[in-house]
This record gives sequence, structure tokens and C-alpha cells, in this order.
Amino acid sequence: MLLIHCPYCREARPEIEFSYAGEAHIARPADPSVLSDEAWRDFLFIRSNPRGTHYERWRHTHGCARFFNAVRDTVSDKFLMTYEAGRPRPSEAEIEEHRS
Amino acid sequence: MLRLAMLPDCARFVLRIAPADMAAAGQVFGLALPEAIGAVAEADGRLALKLGPDEWRLHAAESDGAEIAARFAAELGTTPHSLVDISHREIGIEVSGTAALDVLTALCPLDLAARPVGSGTRTVFDRVEAVVLRQAENQFRLEVWQSFAPFLYSLLEIVGQEVEAGL
Amino acid sequence: MTGYRVAGRGRVDPDARLRFIFDGRSYEGLHGDTLASALLANGVHFVGRSFKYHRPRGIMSAGVEEANALVGVDRGRGRYTPNTRATVLELYDGLTAESQNYWPSLRYDIGAVNDIAAPLIPAGFYYKTFKWPASFWNKVYEPVIRRSAGLGRAPTAPDADRYASRFAHCDVLIVGAGPAGLAAALTASESGARVILADENPEIGGSLLSDPAVQIDGKDAWNWLEEARATLAGRANVTLLTRTTAIGYYHQNFLGLVQRLTDHLPAAASSLPRERMWKVRAAQVVLAQGAIERPLVFDGNDRPGVMLAGAGRSFLNRYGVKVGNRVAVVTVHDSAYLAAFDLARAGAGVATIVDLRRNPRAALLAEARSLGIEVLSGWTVTATKGRARIAEIRVNPVDQNGKVGAARMIGCDALLMSGGWTPSVHLFSHSKGALDWREDLQAFVPGAPNEAVRCAGAGNGTFGLAAALAEGAAAGAATAGSAGTPTVFSVDGEAPFSGVYFRELPTDRDPTRAKAFIDFQNDVTAKDIRLAVREGFRSIEHVKRYTTNGMATDQGKTSNINGLMIAADAVGKPAPEVGLTTFRPPYTPTTFGAFVGYSRDAHFEVERKTSIDSWAEANGAVFEPVSLWRRAWYFPRSGESMHEAVARECRATRRSLGIFDASTLGKIEVVGPDAAEFMNRMYTNAWTKLAPGRCRYGLLLGEDGFIRDDGVIGRLSDERFHVTTTTGGAARVLATMEDYLQTEWPDLKVWLTSTSEQWAVIALNGPNARKVLEPLVQGIDLNGEAFPHMAVREGKICGVPTRLFRVSFTGELGFEVNVPARFGLSVWKALIEQGRPYDITPYGTETMHALRAEKGFIIVGQDTDGTVTPHDAGMSWAIGKTKPDFVGKRSLARPDMQDPKRKQLVGLLTEKPETVLEEGAQIVDGPYAAVPMPMIGHVTSSYHSETLGRSIALALIQGGHGRKGETVYVPMPGAMHKATITDTVFVDKEGAKLNV
Repeated sequence: MLLIHCPYCREARPEIEFSYAGEAHIARPADPSVLSDEAWRDFLFIRSNPRGTHYERWRHTHGCARFFNAVRDTVSDKFLMTYEAGRPRPSEAEIEEHRS
Repeated sequence: MLRLAMLPDCARFVLRIAPADMAAAGQVFGLALPEAIGAVAEADGRLALKLGPDEWRLHAAESDGAEIAARFAAELGTTPHSLVDISHREIGIEVSGTAALDVLTALCPLDLAARPVGSGTRTVFDRVEAVVLRQAENQFRLEVWQSFAPFLYSLLEIVGQEVEAGL
Repeated sequence: MTGYRVAGRGRVDPDARLRFIFDGRSYEGLHGDTLASALLANGVHFVGRSFKYHRPRGIMSAGVEEANALVGVDRGRGRYTPNTRATVLELYDGLTAESQNYWPSLRYDIGAVNDIAAPLIPAGFYYKTFKWPASFWNKVYEPVIRRSAGLGRAPTAPDADRYASRFAHCDVLIVGAGPAGLAAALTASESGARVILADENPEIGGSLLSDPAVQIDGKDAWNWLEEARATLAGRANVTLLTRTTAIGYYHQNFLGLVQRLTDHLPAAASSLPRERMWKVRAAQVVLAQGAIERPLVFDGNDRPGVMLAGAGRSFLNRYGVKVGNRVAVVTVHDSAYLAAFDLARAGAGVATIVDLRRNPRAALLAEARSLGIEVLSGWTVTATKGRARIAEIRVNPVDQNGKVGAARMIGCDALLMSGGWTPSVHLFSHSKGALDWREDLQAFVPGAPNEAVRCAGAGNGTFGLAAALAEGAAAGAATAGSAGTPTVFSVDGEAPFSGVYFRELPTDRDPTRAKAFIDFQNDVTAKDIRLAVREGFRSIEHVKRYTTNGMATDQGKTSNINGLMIAADAVGKPAPEVGLTTFRPPYTPTTFGAFVGYSRDAHFEVERKTSIDSWAEANGAVFEPVSLWRRAWYFPRSGESMHEAVARECRATRRSLGIFDASTLGKIEVVGPDAAEFMNRMYTNAWTKLAPGRCRYGLLLGEDGFIRDDGVIGRLSDERFHVTTTTGGAARVLATMEDYLQTEWPDLKVWLTSTSEQWAVIALNGPNARKVLEPLVQGIDLNGEAFPHMAVREGKICGVPTRLFRVSFTGELGFEVNVPARFGLSVWKALIEQGRPYDITPYGTETMHALRAEKGFIIVGQDTDGTVTPHDAGMSWAIGKTKPDFVGKRSLARPDMQDPKRKQLVGLLTEKPETVLEEGAQIVDGPYAAVPMPMIGHVTSSYHSETLGRSIALALIQGGHGRKGETVYVPMPGAMHKATITDTVFVDKEGAKLNV
């Protein structure tokens, strides 16, 4: 069971309190009706699925109940950092800082 | 030593309000709301626990419930907030005594021993979500949704027997 | 005392005699024995047959690595455990065990023909043979193989034991309480840090238990050990767990420990849990797992009586048992001499030490000479003889060029072998730590860690007592950071410790005819490994799977390194380039019970009950599970079948009055100034104009445009909605709403609270519903005009607060009485009393389903399956046409979502009114289409309609909306049923019964 740092509770908590919620930084289009079918398909279904650094959403469901974002290494399974929902994608430098 | 008991009913509310407006809400409730997630304020039979950035759980005597709801509606009507009565949603379970920490820890992956007296949090015991309040070194209060309470209570009993048997 | 018990030796209690039964024969052992040591004390070596060749096997080790001596232990009904290692099975009075893998008896086993046929069943034989004729596989080959394969006998009765589990947190978890682990624990716990020390043995000590002569800090090892134990036991910050195996090492220092609580006690002695799984989160971990001795690889190395040298020493020093009266030793390592010397001093005749090395240490040779032991250095063992136990070994000199000279036979009744030692890196590897190759040890040792972990002692490749103690103390000190000071230990009487590595021992015979075993449990020989490489397998992972080397329940503890070295030699690469196979949890075989813990019987799953459940139970309800809830399914009166009960409940509800517990419905309170805007964005329907006091049926889609949930939603005030969801969808819908609210629309001032369990919900349906409510309700005008269909009012019922909905899921005049949950039962009882004049009838979920189907109301998840749009379901009316957006709206505009050939929800009436179609049955166009017939749809709901006196069904059929009146066919077992496509509403199409 992983320990996950909740950016709202500001502490590491057991994985069982959390739920995974898919890739992060995929904003719902402000006006979906203007999107082409292809663009809408991409929003709905196309995900990056990288080997390595992955930006993803989690929810501290059985804690503070907040959704937040995380950077996780899909090879090692390790969380590199977590941050509040709504904050921009952290830079490589920021991630490196947390990695050490 | 372990004491395990279903607690008497009380009035319970979920209060959701922007942190900027919490002082006003505290005035209406009659108890300054805690500012940090996990912190508890308690006085004169009222209790407030901050569970999330804009979420507080309020406890009061069962007989005060209607009046509290009415006061929020009347005095905080223009401030955006949500007050929802969950008095009947949940049941309180007391777990206290020298074995309390061992019994609770057996079922919970959170390090409860490291959490201070006068704090509370939502977490999971076995498969059951609960709010746990540490009210004294060896005194805990669990708040569990009604239909999950018998399952959790019987697990606490089983673990309690094991701990008391010296395991 | 038996012939092999040595008085005054070992940690067994000579006064505590225990009876035990092995293969039906009664023996005597001592408290402190394992089954293995007790059998050896009785001169029993032959304890089982091997898995594939059914060769006689004995006891090869004294610990968890045992690959041969697997027994079935019978502790009574539901308490049979196969494949238990006799070497770790603690003896208790009355223990009953049996050997395995033979028929009809251990001594005369028909399966032993496999040994003679061995050339026909080499590695991978099951991939190569039994291919022809094809029909033989199912009928002949597989049944025969299945009967003869398998390890031990699987128990069939439900496990009668119970199991415990617990989480634990500590600053330092130390695995292994041998010298290194003890040194670490003594040092780490000085500072007050929370320390857990776990060891799989019944007592701490590790290798010290087999080495009593050595001195630590001027004390005999066992005295020092007792003092260390007392010191640790006296520290409140130390948890000492014996009989506790660390089975797995997971992310962020999360380890699983299985503690055996009762298996060492007489069978009937305890009501305690049998085992307990500890799930430990440790800030720091120290691994002091020790090392496992390597077998040597030579023809006949599996004969009963052949065992690891260290085991021979343990049986003597720890259990007071000499493994033979005429012991021979074959070794490439100094440590085997220690066993020989101890045995010789204890009076076991030690005939010969065969040392493959040409120049053993002079001190060892001198001591051997003084004890009268012949040392043949530069010799090899090329064969063994003996039936149920070794009787002779064949030894040959090897010259400097490796040429093997003439053989000589030496009589013996036990052969101790040592191929050196392999550090136990299992847990370190679980944690994804890197392994480094140590050329000097010819072994992998822990390298760069991936977690906060330190390794110490033999498990780290640090052999020797003084070195292990020092490294353990240093590891313990390091866990305390700069505050820690390693305890310093002084050691006297320690023997030197070095050796070399040999693959197959040199032989003058044809090596392809040798049965030189590597994996004793899976019967893999050296030539199997070489065959695999010859056949093209290069990766060690492939060699492992092809030969099954290391894949038995011991997971290759004694075989992996020999397999690797021989494979590397055959491939022609150095061992570190070939690499090691992956170590996987659990470290040793673990019972399912330990994983299950409390999660069985009543705690297998949470069973949620409503506040009215007790009434339903008292009134004879039959229940069905609906998500985690148990719900009343129907209420049979005495003698009634389910069909009769449901028919009666349906009749009563349509004609007079039915009452139904709907408390399990999900409920969400949506509150805030932006509540209506939020509802507009989430649900397909328009909410802005819904007046307070009114309700609306709401349809929730996924962003993909498919129906996800539905429910009636009441607007209590401008800023407060009472949303209901399906029973199973409650948590999911709330999570979806929170997701949108928190991450897409954080600007909206609205909050969501689950009130599913705040409210008990009692549905009253039937023409007389209002009459029953009227006398009980205060503050609400129930008149049809004041309180129309699809309205909600707040007031009181029976003196308690209520949110009263006028809604109907049956098509009858209907109300849903919401009261705070703890009042649910009393209000239910009051309604039952009040309803007696109207023959009020409690009904269950089956009647609810049948009545709603008569009205064509869908059940999400039954009539929809995640691919059904509102239009498919005939519910385009639920879409707010003028809304610019809602979740799923854009997807509804995709061309394939508007395809007229999509499966659409329709009614079906069978030609024969008594035919009730099977839900899930496929639908085809005609009975004579070519096979495979194109399937055009399927039945989603099907019931006998009591109201119509015939069957009805709902179905999803391609282009169904345009095919009303057409005939389709439903193939079911035994018949092809003809049916007509209809509208989905079967009863009261104009809804007249609602407007009263």
C-alpha cells in the first residue's frame, strides 16, 4: 500500500483512503458544441499513457475528499510530487526538486 | 482494558462554507471553527472538526439540532454556505481504555498513535469509512454511517478480544 | 532415548516427551523438536517421494529452505495442511503427519516407474509429447497427468480455523533475529525508537542456536542470547515477534509479516486465531535474513541421508540429534568441517571428509586428524548407493588437470554436503533493490537500495559472527541517524569461513546419465538445464519456466544459484550477465487464511441493512443483495411460492395499497446559490424553471453520452435540491458530481452532501395511498390539487419531520415518505397499522420491478448497459433542448449516436402469453436464418404481468423504435419463441391513475 501525500491535508496518508481519477490536465472544453468530432473524441478517449513521468488525478476520497494532481513515475510506481487541483503542470525543475 | 460502546444520539451537521466566511459561521454555531484540517474545537457540548478545506462537521446535543439549523438559515442566509443535517446518517462508537489504540490500529493503516489528542480525521477501518476523533490519550470516538456500524462494531469486538487475550 | 538422540545436546527438553504419529506409526520426540529432528532421532530419513520421478527423499535441511521433506499435517476436520516442511513443523503431543506423493505406500510406490522412465520425461516433456492424436489430450493424457501430478493432497473441507490481521507502525523493522538482527535491535532500540524484531523461528538466535560453543562478550553464545532476549523484552519500545515470517516487502517500507499463533500447540488446545498477518509500515528497515547453504550437484545427491552440512550441525547442536552413526562429508567450503568436528565430538562416527579443494586450510586438516577423520582433498563424489537411505558413496581422486581417477566406495549412513552459502536477498529484491555480484562469494548480494533499508550479516554477504554483529550494530545505529552509536561486541572461538564454487562435481561417468539434482522439489537435474540451453533457451527466466527450476513451493531457495551457474556455463557467459530470476512474495508458502484475515463469513462483505430491515425479517421477507444492501425481495405468506407472492403483492398494490422500503435509494443534498446551475450542467433536464416544491425525473449521462444514472429530484427551495440516485449508483454519482464541481467548475457556489443514510424512505403506492397518509401527516395538504403528482412538501408525519414526495414508480397514486432514519421503523409500523382497513401489503424488489416494467420505466444497469443513449431508451423528452451544454450533450451529436440502426428500447409481447422470456436472451429476425444468425438485440427485462395476465418484456433491438408491430424470434433452450415488438408502456398508457 502506497503512501500518498495529500496537498490539502499536508501529510502522507495510506493509499486505501484515495481513489485514482485518470490523467490530469485534460480540461473539459468550455464550449463542447464548437468542437469537431475528432477533437471531442480526443478529449474523451485519447490519453498519453507514458512510460515514466505521468501527470494524474487522485482524490483523497476517505480523507479531505479533495481531488488533486500528482506526478508519478509509471516505471517505479513512485509519486514524485502532488499538488492542488487547478495549479498548472509543474516544470521539470520543480519535479526534480521533489525527486531528490 | 477496552470499552466499546454505541454512543447516544446527537445532532450532526455537515457545514460547507468558504474559509473566509468561517468566522461568521462560528458565531452562529457558538463555537469558533478550527482553521486547520484535522483540528477540533470543543466547548459547552458543541464540537467542530475541520475535515477538508471548506468542510466542517458540527456536533451538538440532539435537542439543539432544530435550533441550530434555524439559526444558520436566519443569520447566515446571505452568505453562501451549505448546512445539511446528518444526525441520523451516522452512529457514534466509543473506543476507549488502554487497549483502544491497539484495537483501532489493527484495522486502520493510518498511524493513529502519532495523531494528537484533540484531533480528528476521516479514514478507513477495514473497509468502512469513518471519522475518528481522538478525545484523550486512550479515548476515541468513531462516527460511522449507520448501515456500516454493525460490521465495524463486530470487528472491533473481535480484535478487542484478541488484544485483551494478550495477542 | 533413541539411538540418534545425544544426551546433553540441543535446546530440546529431555523431560518433555511427546508422542506423534507419522504415516500411521507412533514415535516419541521431545519438546523443542521439529518433526524432522524427531524423525531423525528415531532414525527415519526416508520421509517422502519426489514430485515427478517419485524418488525416495529424505530431510535435506533444517530450515525453511527444505525442498524434500514435505508432509501433510492433519489437525482434524478442516485443518489439514499439505506440503508442510517437516524442518519447521514444531512437534506437539499428538501431532499427526503423513508423507506425500506415493501410491499405494511410501515404500512401494507405483509412480516410481517414472524414475526408470526418466529418460522419456526430460525437461519440458509436457510441451513435446502427448500431442497426437489430438483427441487423446482431453480423454487420456490430461486426466492421467492430472491424477499423477500435483504436490500433496489439497484439503476439501472449509478451513475451520480463524485468522487475524493488524496494521502496525514502527521506526525500525528488523527482519531476522540472528546475530546481525539482534545487534541491530539492541542498538536501534536504545534510543527509544519503536522497534519491531521479527523472526520466523520459534525463538530468536538464528545461527547462534546451532553454534553454542562460540563466545560473545566473554559469555557462551546461549547465555549471551538469553541476556539479549531479556534486554529486548524489557524495553517497552520493542515488539519481539517470533514464529513470524516476513513474506513480502512492498513500496515505501510496507511489509507483510505472518505470525503463526497456534500451529505449535496441541490440536484442540486453542480458540485463538491460527495466524495473524501484520501489515507493517516502517520508517527504516534492517534486513538480516542470513544465508542458505547450497547443495552440491552430483549423481544421487537426493538420496535419503544426503543433507546440507549446516543442517547436520543444527540437528546436533540445536535439537540434540545426530544424523547418522557413520557420517561422510563432501564439501567445497570450510563450514562443513565444523559440522564434521561437532558430530565427531558428539560420538557420531565421521568416516571421511571429501573436499573438492586441493589445499584445505591447514588448521582444519590438523583438527580432522586429531579427531580421526580422513580428509580426501582434491577428491570428488560420483555416485551414492542405498535404497531408503544412503549406504555408500563412490569417491574418486581428481588430478590437477581435472582428470578423474579410479573410484573407491566408502560406507556411510549419512552424507553431509556443502556447496557454500547464498545470501538471502529475497526481501531486498522484493523492494526492487539492485543486486551486485560478488566474485569472491560467487553470489549476489544487496546493492543499491530502493527503499530506506539496510542489510546486515550473512544476508549481506558478510559472513562470520564478529563481522555480522558489527554490521548489525552499525545498521541499527544508522537507523537512529547521528544519535546512534553501534554497540561493540567481542567474539571468541569463531572458525574461519571460506570456500569455492563448483557446478556439477567432476565425474568419470557419463554425465548425461547422472541424476544430479538442482531443484529437489521439482525434480530438475543439471542435465535438464543444459538441455534447455541446447534447445535454444538463453534467458534465465525462460530456462526457469521451461525446466520449472525454482518454481516449486520453495521458490528455488536451494536451486536458483546452482541453476543459474550451470545455465551460465552452458550459455558461455558469466553468471552476472545471465542474471537471476525475479524473487516474488511470499518468501515462504503462506496460507490463504492469513491473507483473508477477518474477511470471511459475516465479515466477507459488509451487509448493509435499512432501519426497516428488522421488520421485514420478522415478517418473513426473502432477501436479495443489491450492491452492498440486503433488500426484501418478496414477502411470501405460508405456503406461497415466489410467483404467487409476487402476483399477490402486485394485485394488492394496483387494487388498493402496497408499501415498500425504498431507503436504499442514494440521496444527495445539493445546496448553494448556484445549485440550479450545477444541476443544469450535470443532468440532461432543465432545472432553472423547476419551482420549489416540485420534482422532476432526472437523467444523468456520462461525458460519452450514455445513461449512467437516474432518479427523482425535488427542489426544496431556490438553493436546495434533494437528489435521489439508484441504490447501486449512490457513491459513484456523488463522486462524479464532486469531480465536476471541484475540478471543472470550482467557481460555482454549491456544495454536495450525501444524505443516503439520513433518510429512511417508505414508498406507498396504490389507489388508497392518500387515505392512509392523511390521518398521520401534519402540515401538508394532501389534496390532489394542492399536492400534485411530482411535488415535494416538508412537514411532519407521526410527529417527526418528513420530506414527502408525491412520485410513483408503479403508475399508481404514489408517495415516498422520507423520515430521519432512526424514525423509519416506527413510521413504517404506524403506516402498516393505518393501512389495515385497506389490506396494506408490503412488497419487495421483485414486485417493484414487475410493476415498473408494466409502465415501461427503465432500471439503469438492467435496461441500460453503458451503451444506451436517452434517445435509445425512448427518453428524448428528458433532454433540456435549449440548454447550451450538459454532461454528455456533445457526444449525443456524434453521427454514430444518431444512427437509426442503434439498439433501441422497445416492449416485447410473446405469441404465447404464458412464455416468460429469459432476461439476457438474444433476439433474431427469423427462425430460418443461416447459422450463425445475426443477433439484433436482447431481452433486458422480463416478467409475468399480473395486471395483464400475461408475460411482458423490455428489449433493446436494432432500430426497434421503427419496428413496432413486427415479429422477432427469441431462441431459448428447447424452443424458438415468437414475439411482437410493442411500445414500452403496457399498463395505463395515458397515466390516468396518477392524476387522482
